[in-house]
Amino acid sequence: MSGPVDDRVADQAAEVISGVVERVFRTVLEVRDEVLAAYRAALARGDRMCERDIVALRRPVLNRLGREPQAAVGMGVVVAPGLLADRDLQLEWWQYDTRPPDARRGEPSMLEVDLNPASVGFYDYAAAEWFVVPQRTGRRHVVGPYVDVHGTDRYLLTLTVPAVADGTFLGIAGADLPAASFETLVLRELGDLAADVVVVNPEDRVVLSTSSRWLTGSRAEFTPADTARTLAEPDWRVVTTGR
Amino acid sequence: MRLPSGDARRAVFAPLDDGAMRSEAVVRRLGSAIALGIIVDGEQLPAEQQLAASLNVSTVTLREALSDLRSRGLVATRRGRGGGSFVSASEDALVELSQGRLRELAGTDLRELGDVRAAVSGAAARLAAERASTGEISRLRESLDRLEAATGGTARRRIEGRWFIDVAAAAQSVRLTREEIELQFELGQVLWGVGPVAADPAATVAAHRRVVDAIAARDGALARRLTEEHIALVTARLVDAHVRIVRRGRNRPEPARSFPEAAGS
Repeated sequence: MSGPVDDRVADQAAEVISGVVERVFRTVLEVRDEVLAAYRAALARGDRMCERDIVALRRPVLNRLGREPQAAVGMGVVVAPGLLADRDLQLEWWQYDTRPPDARRGEPSMLEVDLNPASVGFYDYAAAEWFVVPQRTGRRHVVGPYVDVHGTDRYLLTLTVPAVADGTFLGIAGADLPAASFETLVLRELGDLAADVVVVNPEDRVVLSTSSRWLTGSRAEFTPADTARTLAEPDWRVVTTGR
Repeated sequence: MRLPSGDARRAVFAPLDDGAMRSEAVVRRLGSAIALGIIVDGEQLPAEQQLAASLNVSTVTLREALSDLRSRGLVATRRGRGGGSFVSASEDALVELSQGRLRELAGTDLRELGDVRAAVSGAAARLAAERASTGEISRLRESLDRLEAATGGTARRRIEGRWFIDVAAAAQSVRLTREEIELQFELGQVLWGVGPVAADPAATVAAHRRVVDAIAARDGALARRLTEEHIALVTARLVDAHVRIVRRGRNRPEPARSFPEAAGS
């Protein structure tokens, strides 16, 4: 590390990072609220939620995916196993299939997966990090960046929030944001901030960096002394260093 | 969204952009996807129009390819309401498929395939040693545990192919991952679904474990070297198998269960 950076600069960097993340989460939280509303509506009619209640979230999900300003490429709802009266597993997830560098083009398509536990290609979402962590902690979570091998063929961040009503875990709402889009958004907002900024996830992986000394996706083991700020949700460290 | 386990279906139906757009390319892509278990026995393929569009081939080319797949016993077509093309992945058909492919390829083709695999998988292993998270390293180990426990050649090939793809993903490279998926598809034509498989599955698992150990030790040079050596060995086996099949000639079809050379990849 090449010299200390003053507190104000470190604060500014952390604010930019959390600001961008926050704006994606804002849309995801709207999707979550739709899930909560659907749950309450089912309660009000004296019923458990059904498959059709989730299918009815399609329009709200698509509307938000289409106008999400931070260039999310996927968005949707994934239901807690056993929640629905008429189906064990269910998801309503939509994504743009365009390959990078075209982030969003054409119409999004629905993620169609095999939800039969007995089959080879079974999509066991209840074991996925983006599902398990918000379920366990009750907090929002970001997975990645990671190569989305079995999905969209992109380098992604997946942001998820739990949907909990009256103590019942209903599932998660989430969005996929390409690491490249996240970088563009952050770089623009950092502008001419007088420091290099490196964001590291709990796996010591660089989420974003303004310096070629740390490449996105590589590992960087910073010491606690290097860490200028720690974000709460997600659990990321922001390191700032003089250029 | 990342899956703990899942399929690479999207890649199966991705456009074929080799420029040729021949029906053989479609047969190869779908045939190896069937062998890899990405599209499974009994599964219905997308409607012809839709499938042709997503693969970026004409419907004429697609029909030609489907008819070829039917004659190889990999696809069955049912007419009428609820009809369409369904996957029928019998082990024998898969064995037939890979032997036919090994016969028509030249030794130099197999050598070329080995060269590109060494470049892609070798680089992926090196970068994975630098970049893989501890979580990713444990998943690589778990998948080798599954490989060790697997019975049957088809199951082993599926797990192994996915292991190579996961190493490339652990390298944090979308492009290397995509290349690896393509290579595994291509390799599937000569390796997947091969009869009694494993001449020595234990040795294959052990070789892959050494690569993961090197990745965990953050020794990129070693991970790369081990990967390259293993691929050279497999390539040599494939060339030997190819020569044997061609020399036996077309008039004496290979018995389905006499092909142990191509164990491991």
